[in-house]
Amino acid sequence: MSQDKAEKNPEIIGFACSYCTFKASEMAGSLRLKYPDGVKLVQVPCSSRVDPAFVIKAIFEGADGVFVAGCHPGDCHFIKGNYFTRRKIAALKEMFDAFSMNDKLRLFWVSAAEARRFVEKVTGMYNEIKERKNVRKEN
Amino acid sequence: MLGKKIKNGSIEDTLNRFLKDDQHLVLGFEKDENGVSLRAFKNHLDHYSFLNPIFSTNGALHLRRLFSKGTKIILMLRPCEIRAYIELIKLNQIEREDIIAVSIDCLGTVSSKEKADDIPVEAGQLKDYFKNSDTMRWACKVCREKRGVVGDAGIRIDKDGLFWAFPYTEKGETFLTLIEGESEENKTEMLMSGSEKTDKFQNDMKTFAKDFTKCIMCMNCRDMCPVCYCIDCVFNGDEYLPKGDALLNKILRSGPVQLPQGKELFHFIRMYHVSQTCVGCGACEEACPQGIPLTKYFKGVSERLQGMYSYMSGKSFDETIPYLTFLEDELKNAED
Repeated sequence: MSQDKAEKNPEIIGFACSYCTFKASEMAGSLRLKYPDGVKLVQVPCSSRVDPAFVIKAIFEGADGVFVAGCHPGDCHFIKGNYFTRRKIAALKEMFDAFSMNDKLRLFWVSAAEARRFVEKVTGMYNEIKERKNVRKEN
Repeated sequence: MLGKKIKNGSIEDTLNRFLKDDQHLVLGFEKDENGVSLRAFKNHLDHYSFLNPIFSTNGALHLRRLFSKGTKIILMLRPCEIRAYIELIKLNQIEREDIIAVSIDCLGTVSSKEKADDIPVEAGQLKDYFKNSDTMRWACKVCREKRGVVGDAGIRIDKDGLFWAFPYTEKGETFLTLIEGESEENKTEMLMSGSEKTDKFQNDMKTFAKDFTKCIMCMNCRDMCPVCYCIDCVFNGDEYLPKGDALLNKILRSGPVQLPQGKELFHFIRMYHVSQTCVGCGACEEACPQGIPLTKYFKGVSERLQGMYSYMSGKSFDETIPYLTFLEDELKNAED
């Protein structure tokens, strides 16, 4: 009985751009906003540093979800890094779609000032994956 | 389109005329008693063959990191090989300057694993052979572009079995000047028509795992892939595919693992890395000792991913590889 009740908590790996999204997560901390423990952030110098191989590795090593987050298009510290990210991650999403596992990957833009948006996005993704995970467990 | 008719046997004269210079080479197929093989010709050639009905490796594999240093080379290869060559040029792996790439209409090939003693090398006979036989490789059956319309020049076969040479670039014109005779308007229909569209690739992880259980991680598929060119592959260390100490650490840290480690990871990452440049030649499947249907996955995935950007690998010299460029206003639905 107690085993059924135990909820599975997903683990999410996030690749966060050090100029925007990682700053936003730091600000979320100083504003005392809470986001789930299962979300682990990896700081990268720019979202375009994320080779899709990192994402694939994270998923095959057991992560329930991965997100890549960076500055809004046009705001990149390296001028155009996030445009390349968008192309790469969009293609990776399409590839995951071909293997029917597209629910595991997200791409979003969070600027350094959007601490609340960061928390919203991350918690939203966490809850969605958690729900799906627990539904699957029941079946 | 203006082109030159190639009279019977005159192509050998043409290439021999080119090979007179000591610094000139031709890469093409040669007939001998054991069948047809890929060969680099110097000085002189005798038993040249346009078609090679047996696929063992993709010729562009040998061109990786080729910086010709004044040596002029003519490539007389299949369309899939020329397309891989074009992709490698875009990735700065080959110096285009002194190379003339000529693609030749391809009627399909059989696997080199197949017994292939009685396969003809003449165009008409080969066409009949493939009509009555189903030994054609799967990669060739679903090939989108068997026509010789890529590269600097193309050699195409018309309905009567005659060979025609067509120039596509300035260098192609130079190649055509080597051939005797006048250019004329081509009126006859070609043996090969345009490409058909195939269904979108869709799969699930279960069939994927089932297909790849046999994988022994020899990495032949990577080594024989013409466009998988990195000197420092991520799979060369033990970070991605742990061995020895690293493997022990991993097991102690995260519990039992399946061995050999990281098959899915390896193929997934490779699938992504070659997705924009994959020409679907099936050299990976040819190299696989376990007979895993790799082409199905690699070609399927790369077609989907190239389709996103309306790109086709190896089609032209000027199109940029999608990951190396971008539009400011696109892909809104990829973001959440």
